[in-house]
Amino acid sequence: MKRLLLAAGAVLLSAAQAQAPVLPLRIADITGQAGPCAPPGADLPAAQRAYVELLAQRLDTDVLSCPVADAASAARALASGAVDLARLDGAAFGPVSGETRSILTTRATGDLNRLPVVVAVPRAASAQSLGDLAGASLVFAGAQKANLDVPRRALADYGAADAFFGAQIVARDHEDAATRLRAGQAQALVLHAGAWQKLCRGDQPGEDLCEDLRVVWRQRPVAKGAWAIRTDMSDDRRFRLIGIHVAMHNESPQAFAWAAGEGAAEFEPTEAKALLAQGPTVGS
Amino acid sequence: MRRRSGVILAAIGLGLAGCGGEAKAPDGAWQSQMREVRMAVRGSEDDPMITRRLTAYKTYIGKATGLPVKLYESSDYNGTIQALSSGQVDIATMAGGGYANVDAQIGDLAQPILTVRQAEGDTGYYSGLLVMAESPYRTIQDLRGKTLGYVDFNSTSGYLFPRAVMREQGIDPDTFFGKSSFAGGHTQAVMALDNGQFDATIIQAGGGDPEHGFTTGAHYTMARRGVVELDDFRIIWTAGPIPNSAVVVRTDRPQPFVDAVRGAMAALPYDDPEVWRDIGQPDGAAYTAVTREHYAPIIKLRADDIAARRAGERR
Repeated sequence: MKRLLLAAGAVLLSAAQAQAPVLPLRIADITGQAGPCAPPGADLPAAQRAYVELLAQRLDTDVLSCPVADAASAARALASGAVDLARLDGAAFGPVSGETRSILTTRATGDLNRLPVVVAVPRAASAQSLGDLAGASLVFAGAQKANLDVPRRALADYGAADAFFGAQIVARDHEDAATRLRAGQAQALVLHAGAWQKLCRGDQPGEDLCEDLRVVWRQRPVAKGAWAIRTDMSDDRRFRLIGIHVAMHNESPQAFAWAAGEGAAEFEPTEAKALLAQGPTVGS
Repeated sequence: MRRRSGVILAAIGLGLAGCGGEAKAPDGAWQSQMREVRMAVRGSEDDPMITRRLTAYKTYIGKATGLPVKLYESSDYNGTIQALSSGQVDIATMAGGGYANVDAQIGDLAQPILTVRQAEGDTGYYSGLLVMAESPYRTIQDLRGKTLGYVDFNSTSGYLFPRAVMREQGIDPDTFFGKSSFAGGHTQAVMALDNGQFDATIIQAGGGDPEHGFTTGAHYTMARRGVVELDDFRIIWTAGPIPNSAVVVRTDRPQPFVDAVRGAMAALPYDDPEVWRDIGQPDGAAYTAVTREHYAPIIKLRADDIAARRAGERR
């Protein structure tokens, strides 16, 4: 009898799950004044309406707009379960980083991916962290955005702007940069992670061409703003939200223009803590 | 006991009643239509390890979609093309030429959704004309009347694209070379060159550009495996960039599946960088969303090629 009950219960619960009402998507809307979540009104701008309608159609659910006073309020509403999606900055995200995660940011037109950046030193050097490189001379792996702009931005995000270091050389490419580091012309090598991978991958099985070097720091630039969700959102909804947003610039330019803002080329997924420095900042 | 059982069942029934009356599909309902995700992967002949490493990828996609994932391995280009065209698989990663072939067969029933944007911002790669380092050949003009190996009829970088560029440069690839044939794959093309069967062969080259040199491609991978010596080869001519491979889905699958799998794949380099590396993608690269328009030039090349063949014109 007990088995029968358990089996019946399992069947009924399964059926219940299959028939469970789909949850609405509640989006925090920073308006300066808090208010109850509600379906978008008739006076909604056309672009915002296009965004709401796209999400409603693709998620097959109601999309509600939830007015909040500011980003900090949006973050609190997200963490408490009052909204499901909110655009946050680092300051708003920090206090709720335990209950929420970022999923999307935007890539500006002409910008690159949020590249991981590597700082390496000769294996025998004493430096163990970014903080140990105060006043150290650097060599960058080229003048292109990926080799100079992105690494400088990532370093600055962790408190190590240009003034933190000593002399800086811009080499021809990653191999030239490594040669200069090995020749003692600089104390640390700075390059994006893809260039580091190319530099170190040997032509023979398992060969590591950078055994004489040591990575002391590896981080992506910190995202300035990102769309965040609660960590308990289902994988299904999270990945569908990401999948809809990353293609939005192609599929619904009007909705994209409203959601991503001026100057954005596309939505870009993020790691969970993209809005925060993911390691010590210099001086902290 | 019987009374208690009745109470339990009633409670469950009440719970069900409370959930009823909602017409919209719940999150996850699309999975019951799919039951499983069937992905075509082409066994990489120059890196057999890739198939083993795909296990982690399979696990990731399975967790993201909530469905079991079946990988369908194909040993040649046409296998992947036919698997997607026939609906045997739901999703496949293929070069632009392969997608063009699928497009010619089933049109809007297949749609490219993602391609890789490299760290430097590029979304393309190159064809290279590879010769032995010790050979006298320095330019493509030195190969007049010589033997040339192509990769495969369905290869974008190993056949379709370089032939079009040759024609643009005034070289008719069917009369300029003395003899040409298909090697069957990038690895086979390199091996045939190394064995003296060809004077030159077309290969794929990536991870760089003609000005700065390349770091990826069959002969680089083979060298890393110890099969050949990198210094034994030279690239003397390049064509490109060619749009990077596409992740292509069947559009007759539920839209939530397309959205979920696109989201999961796009999030991969950020959510699980190790799996991203495991599937052979470089650090700093990421997926970017594309449409058919991104591959329009390749579709046109393929259509022209097919039309010429049908017309009996030797090109």
